[in-house]
Amino acid sequence: MAFPQWLKPVLALLAIAPGSCFAQALTNPFAGNAQAVADGSKIFAQSCAPCHGRDGTGGQGQAEGMRPPDLTRGVFKAGRQDSDLFRVVSQGVRGTEMPSFAALGNDQIWRVLTFVRSLSTVAPVLAGDPAAGETLFWGKGNCGSCHQVGTKGTRLGPDLTRGGRRSNVKSLRESIVDPNADITPGFAIITVETREHQKISGLERWLDNFSARLIDQSGNERTYLRDDVISIDREMRSTMPDNYGKMFSATDVDNLVAYIQKIRREANSQ
Amino acid sequence: MKKLSWILLTATLAAQAQVPAPVTTQTLTNAQQDPNSWLSYGKNYYGWRYSPLTQITAANVAQLAPAWILPTGVPGNNETTPLVYGDMMYLTGPSNNAWAVDLLTGKKVWSYSDYVPSGLGLCCGTVNRGFAMLGDRLFKVNIQSTLVSLEAKSGKVLWETTIDDYKKGYSNTAAPLIIKDMVVVGTAGAEWGIRGYIDAYDAATGKRRWRFYTVPTAGEAGIETWGGNSYKTGGGSTWITGTYDPELNLIYWGIGNPGPDMDGSVRKGDNLYTCAIVAIDADTGKLKWYFQMTPHDVHDWDAVADPVLVEAMVKGVKVKAVAQANRNGFYYLLDRTTGKFITAKAYTKVNWADGIGADGRPILIAGREPTPEGNMTCPGLGGGHNWSATAYSPKTGLYYFGATDGCQMFNVEKMEYVEGNQYQAGDAVAVPKEPTSGSVNAVDPSTGTLKWKHTLMSNPSGLLATAGGLVFTGDSDGYMMALDGLTGKVLWHYQTGAAIRSPAISYTFHGKQYIAMVSGQNLLAFKLP
Repeated sequence: MAFPQWLKPVLALLAIAPGSCFAQALTNPFAGNAQAVADGSKIFAQSCAPCHGRDGTGGQGQAEGMRPPDLTRGVFKAGRQDSDLFRVVSQGVRGTEMPSFAALGNDQIWRVLTFVRSLSTVAPVLAGDPAAGETLFWGKGNCGSCHQVGTKGTRLGPDLTRGGRRSNVKSLRESIVDPNADITPGFAIITVETREHQKISGLERWLDNFSARLIDQSGNERTYLRDDVISIDREMRSTMPDNYGKMFSATDVDNLVAYIQKIRREANSQ
Repeated sequence: MKKLSWILLTATLAAQAQVPAPVTTQTLTNAQQDPNSWLSYGKNYYGWRYSPLTQITAANVAQLAPAWILPTGVPGNNETTPLVYGDMMYLTGPSNNAWAVDLLTGKKVWSYSDYVPSGLGLCCGTVNRGFAMLGDRLFKVNIQSTLVSLEAKSGKVLWETTIDDYKKGYSNTAAPLIIKDMVVVGTAGAEWGIRGYIDAYDAATGKRRWRFYTVPTAGEAGIETWGGNSYKTGGGSTWITGTYDPELNLIYWGIGNPGPDMDGSVRKGDNLYTCAIVAIDADTGKLKWYFQMTPHDVHDWDAVADPVLVEAMVKGVKVKAVAQANRNGFYYLLDRTTGKFITAKAYTKVNWADGIGADGRPILIAGREPTPEGNMTCPGLGGGHNWSATAYSPKTGLYYFGATDGCQMFNVEKMEYVEGNQYQAGDAVAVPKEPTSGSVNAVDPSTGTLKWKHTLMSNPSGLLATAGGLVFTGDSDGYMMALDGLTGKVLWHYQTGAAIRSPAISYTFHGKQYIAMVSGQNLLAFKLP
C-alpha cells in the first residue's frame, strides 16, 4: 500500500507510539543487560512492588482486594512480545488497578521490563538431563496422569504446558519432593459431606460462599450448593503424592527439573 | 384574573413539587428522619448506614429480585456509595466517572468524566467512593487530587479546585463530607511519603477555608513524636470519610499509617497523629482531641475506618461515644466529647499485642516487627477490618463490620525517599498454607462483646443495616447477600456476576423500598415483587 509523501512522517510517529493501531513490534533495547536488570529492580521496588510484591509474585495487592498477576511465570495476559509489555506499563490496563506509568519515560520502562523478564528467565540446571527427565515424566514417574504438557497428559494438576507457576530450581525441586509446601491456588482438596453423611473428596475447581465444584477420584466433576449439604471443607493439601522424594533419586529430581525448565524455555521462545 | 393567577401559580408549584427542595445543613442533620433518601456517604452524620425502612424484612427478603440493572460501561473496582434524592440516583465510578440515574427506569440521565493523568501514585487503583450533596450541587474528588462541584440536574461542572500535586503522591478517593457550607475532604498517599491533612472548602466557590495537618511540623505539638526530620514524609493520609456531631460541632476522622510503612527505624517515636482518630472543630479545623490506636505503626494499620457515633452505656451511664473496628484487630470505644478511652476488645486473631491497657495503649508482644526475611503477624496488612463501610442499627443495638481473619508475613527493606516515588520500605505476603478467611461481625458497641460472627471465604464489601432487621453485604465472587441482623444467618443471596466492592444503600421510590448496590461495572436495584 502506497502512502502519500506528506503522510510518511506521521506514520513514522504512529509506528513508534505504543499501543497505536499502527504500532510495530518494539523490542527491548536492554534485553538481557545485567545493568538494566539491576536498575529495573530498583524501579520495580518503587513503582511496582506495592501491588505486585517485592518478588513479583502478587504481594500485598491481594490484601488490598486487588488481583495483581504473578509476574514470575513468564506468562502475561497482555501478550508475550516486548511491545505488549511496554504498552501495559506505559498505558495501564483499562478496567484494572494497573495505572499508566508513562511518566517513568521510555528508558526507565524498558529497564523495569528487563527486570521483569529476568524474573522468569530459566537458570540452567547443570546437573539435570532434560531428555532423561522427559522419559521419567512420561514413563516411570507417571506425571502425565495428572499434569498436562501441550496436548499430552491430563489436567488434574497444574498445567505444565508453559513450565508451571515457578521457574527457579529451588521451587521446582520443592514442588516435586514436598508438594504441600506451596500449593498452586485452585488445587487444594475439597471434601463435601452430603445429607446422607457420604463424604466426597476431590480436587477444587472452585469454592465460594454458596457453592463448590470438585473433580472426584473418577474424574467426574460436580457442583454442590452449601444449602444442600451438611458441610464443605477445604484442605490445604496437595493431591500430588508426597513420597516422590523417596521414590526418585536426587539425579531423577534434577532431570525432572531440567525437563520442566526446558518446557518453559521453549515456550518462552515461541 | 386574580383567581386565574392563583390557579396558575398553584399548578406551577404542583409541577415543581416533583423537584425536591435543595439539600440544606438541616436536611443533612435530620437525614435519619428521611427514610426515602440517601444523602451522604454514611446515610447520616453519625455514619450509621442504617435505613429506617421496614418493607423488606427477614420474612420476605427471600423474594427480593432485581428491578433494573444499569451497566455503567466503566470497568475497575467500584467502591462507591450512591446518593438518592428525589427521583434521581447520583453515582461515582472509577477513573473519574460519575452519573445521574433515573430511579424509574435505571437509565443514565447525564454522565461526567474527566481525564486520568499518567504519573499518579496509587496503591489501589483509580477508585472513588461517592458524592456529597448540598443545595442543588454535587461534590466529588478526582483521583488527580482535585475537588469538583457539579450541578445536580445537569452534571455541569460549576468549579474545580486543585487540592494538591498528584506528582508528589497525593491522590483523592473518599466521598466528601458536607459540614454547614463547607465541603470537607481527606487525601490518600501515605505510601508515597506525603504529609496528610483534612481540608475544608467553601461549597459555593471551592476556596479552601482551613486545613488540618495530620502530621505536625516543627514548633507544633506532637512534633516530639517524630525522630529527626521524619515528620516531613510522615504520611497520615485520610482516605475514608469522617463523621460529625452537630451538637459538639466536632468532626471525627480516621488517620492512616505513618511513612514509610514498614521501616519504623527511620521515624522513632509514636508518630502522631497517624493511626489515630482525631476530633476537629468544624469551624476552625483546630484539633480538639486525638486518640492513637497504634503508636509507631509498622504494619500499615490505618485507623481510617468509619468513626461511628453511638450512644453507649458505660457503667450504667449514657455516654456520647465513637466506635471503630480498627485495622489492628481491636474494636475501640471512645468518649467522643473528650477522646477518653473507654474500652477495646480483639475481634479477630491478634498476635502483636496482649490486649489494650487501661490507658488505651496496646500491651505489645515483642518481636512482631517486620524483618527482611518476613515475620508473621496477625492480623495482616489489610487488617482486621480495613476501610469498608460499617453499620450501626439502633433497633438491634449492634455495630456491624466486615473483617479479614488471618495473618501475613511482613517484610522490611531500606528505602530512600524520592519525591513522587513509592515509599513503603517493605510489604506483606501470604503465609504459606494458611489461607485467610473473612467474616461479618456484630458486636455490642458498649462493651465490644461479639454477638455473632458469620464466616466467609474472604472479607466482605461494606455493610448496610435496615430497620427490617437485615444486614446487606457482598463478596468478591459476586454474591450479594442479606443476613439476619440478630443472628448472622444468611437469609438471601443473589449472584450478580461480578465482584462486589461497595456497600448497599436503601431508599424508596413510588412507595417501594429498594436496595441498590454496585457489582463490577453494573449498578443493580432490587425490590420485592
